[in-house]
Amino acid sequence: MDMAVKASDISAASPQARTQRRNDFLFRGATLFFALLVLTLLGGVIISLIHGALPALKAFGFGFVGTEIWNPVTEKFGALAPIYGTLVTSAIAMLVGVPVSFGIAIFLTELCPAWAKRPIGIAVELLAGIPSIIYGIWGLFVFAPFLQRTVQPFLINTLGTVPGIGVWFKGPPYGIGVLTAGLILAIMILPFITSITRDVFETMPAMLRESAYGLGATTWEVVRDITIPYTRVGLVGGVMLGLGRALGETMAVTFVIGNSHHIASSLLAPGTTISAAIANEFTEAVGETYTSSLIALGLVLFVITFIVLALAKLMLVRMNRKAGT
Amino acid sequence: MTALSMTAEQSQAALATDGDMREKISVRDLNFYYGTFHALRHINLPLFDKRVTAFIGPSGCGKSTLLRILNRIYDLYPNQRAEGEVLLDGENLLSPKQDLNLLRARVGMVFQKPTPFPMSIYDNVAYGIRLYEKLGRAEMDVRVEEALRKTALWGEVKDKLRQSGLSLSGGQQQRLCIARAVAVRPAVLLLDEPTSALDPISTSKIEELVDELKPDYCIAIVTHNMQQAARVSDFTAFMYLGELVEYGATDTIFTAPKEEKTEQYITGRFG
Repeated sequence: MDMAVKASDISAASPQARTQRRNDFLFRGATLFFALLVLTLLGGVIISLIHGALPALKAFGFGFVGTEIWNPVTEKFGALAPIYGTLVTSAIAMLVGVPVSFGIAIFLTELCPAWAKRPIGIAVELLAGIPSIIYGIWGLFVFAPFLQRTVQPFLINTLGTVPGIGVWFKGPPYGIGVLTAGLILAIMILPFITSITRDVFETMPAMLRESAYGLGATTWEVVRDITIPYTRVGLVGGVMLGLGRALGETMAVTFVIGNSHHIASSLLAPGTTISAAIANEFTEAVGETYTSSLIALGLVLFVITFIVLALAKLMLVRMNRKAGT
Repeated sequence: MTALSMTAEQSQAALATDGDMREKISVRDLNFYYGTFHALRHINLPLFDKRVTAFIGPSGCGKSTLLRILNRIYDLYPNQRAEGEVLLDGENLLSPKQDLNLLRARVGMVFQKPTPFPMSIYDNVAYGIRLYEKLGRAEMDVRVEEALRKTALWGEVKDKLRQSGLSLSGGQQQRLCIARAVAVRPAVLLLDEPTSALDPISTSKIEELVDELKPDYCIAIVTHNMQQAARVSDFTAFMYLGELVEYGATDTIFTAPKEEKTEQYITGRFG
C-alpha cells in the first residue's frame, strides 16, 4: 500500500521533477558553455596568429618555411633553421628520453622493491617540478661545460670518424649547441613520460599480468608482449605529451642552444629553435616584417604540433587495427 | 611418490579403491602468510595425476591462496610467503632454487575472469609455446590447432585465428585461456573459479572440458559452486578459515562427510 502511494507521487508535473529538469538543464548548459569556451579560445589564438603573421607571409610566401636566411638588417626572414632546430632537438630528446622513461617506469612497476618505490617515484615527480629556467642555468653553467670537456671530444673522436653518421659529430666542441639542447630536453620530458607511463602500466589488471607470468614468461617478456601492447594508447599519449613539451620548451633551450640561424650538419654546432628564436628576439624586433616573421614562426610551431598530434592519432588507429580490436 | 606415501589420512579409503593413482603434488604442513596474517594453517593434501581435485569452502577460507602456491604466482608480491613443503614429482617447489618460469610452464593456471592477451587468437595460444620451444610454422600450426581442439574451440575460431582474442565472447575467451595453458603441455592445471564470470551454457562447456582434459593432467579447481565440485571432481577438499577441514573422495564428502562443519557447509547452512 505504502509503496503504491509513493510511486504515484512521482509524476512529471510534480515540483521535484520540475526542479530536477531545471537543474539538469542548467548543468547541461554549463558544461556545454565550458566546452565551447575551449573551442573559442583555440579559434581566437589561431586567428590572431594568422593575422599577425600575414605581413610576413605576404612578403615571403611559402618560401618562408623553406629558406634559411634570417637577416634583420635586410629584413629577409626564413624559418628553416628554427624549424630544423626544433625538430632535431625534439628528436634527440625523444630518442634519449623515451627509452629511459620506459625503463624507469618498468623498474618501478615490475621490479622495484617496495621500500624504494616511493623515494624513486617522488624523485621523478620532483624532477618535473624544477622550473625550466633552472634547467637553463644549470645547462649553461654545468651541463654544457661538462659535455664540452668529456662527452663531445669523445663523440668527435669515435662517432665523428664513422663514415655517414660522422658528419653529425664533427667540428669543435662548443659545449652549447643542438645536441646539448636535445639532452636537456630529454631530462625535462623524462619525469612527464615516466609518471604517465608508470600510471598507465599500473592500470593493467593484476589478473592479466598474473596470467602472463603464470605461463612462465619472464619480466621482460611480460612487459614487451603484454604490458606495452595492452597499455599502448596511454603510452602514446604520454610520449606525445613529452613531445609536445619538447617542441615548445623555450627557456632552457634558449640558454644552451647557441641561437644561431644557421643549419649546421653537426649536432655539436649551435642552432636555434622556433620558441628560442621568438623568446630571444621579440624584445629587439623592430619593424613590422621582423615582428610579423616571429609571429609566423609561432604559427609554424602551432602547425607542427598539430601535425604531430594528427600523426599520433593515425598511429594509434593503425596500431589498433594491427591488434585487431 | 607412491600412493602409499600419502599424507592426508582421510583419503586412504578412497585410495584403496583405485590402485593406479599417482600422487603428482604433495602438500605437506603448508603454512602461508600475507604479511603477518596467517592465511593457511598446516595444510596436508595430495593431488593425484589424471584426477580432478576440487577446493571448496566459504570466501576467504584460503582455497585460492592454496592454488596460488602451487605455481608460486604469489611470489610476484612482496610480503607473501609460504612455509612447509609442496612436492611436485617429489621435488619441493617452494625451494628458493626452484626456477619459477619453468615451474609455471609445468603448472598452468586459469583465472576467475578470462584474460586473453592483447594479440590474435592464434598468437594467444602460440605465445606460451614460443617462450619455451623454437617451432617452425607448420609445427606451430599443429600445436595451436591441437590446443584449440582440446578445448573445443577449434570449430568456432578456425576461420578467424588472426582476429584479436578480445573479439571472442566471455565463454570463448575463457576456453581460449585454457587452450593457452594447455598448449604449453603442462603437467598440472590449476583452475581458479574458472566459471565465476560465465553464463550457465559456457559454464557447462568448461565443465565438460575439465572432464575431457582429465586423462592427461593433474587438475585442481577452486570453486564456490558446490554442484560444480560434485560434478567435475574426483576428490574434494573442504577448507574453512585457513584450515583443511576434510579431504576425501568427492562422493564421500558430499554424501557422508565425517566432519560436522563439512556437512553444514554442503547442506548450505553457512558460507
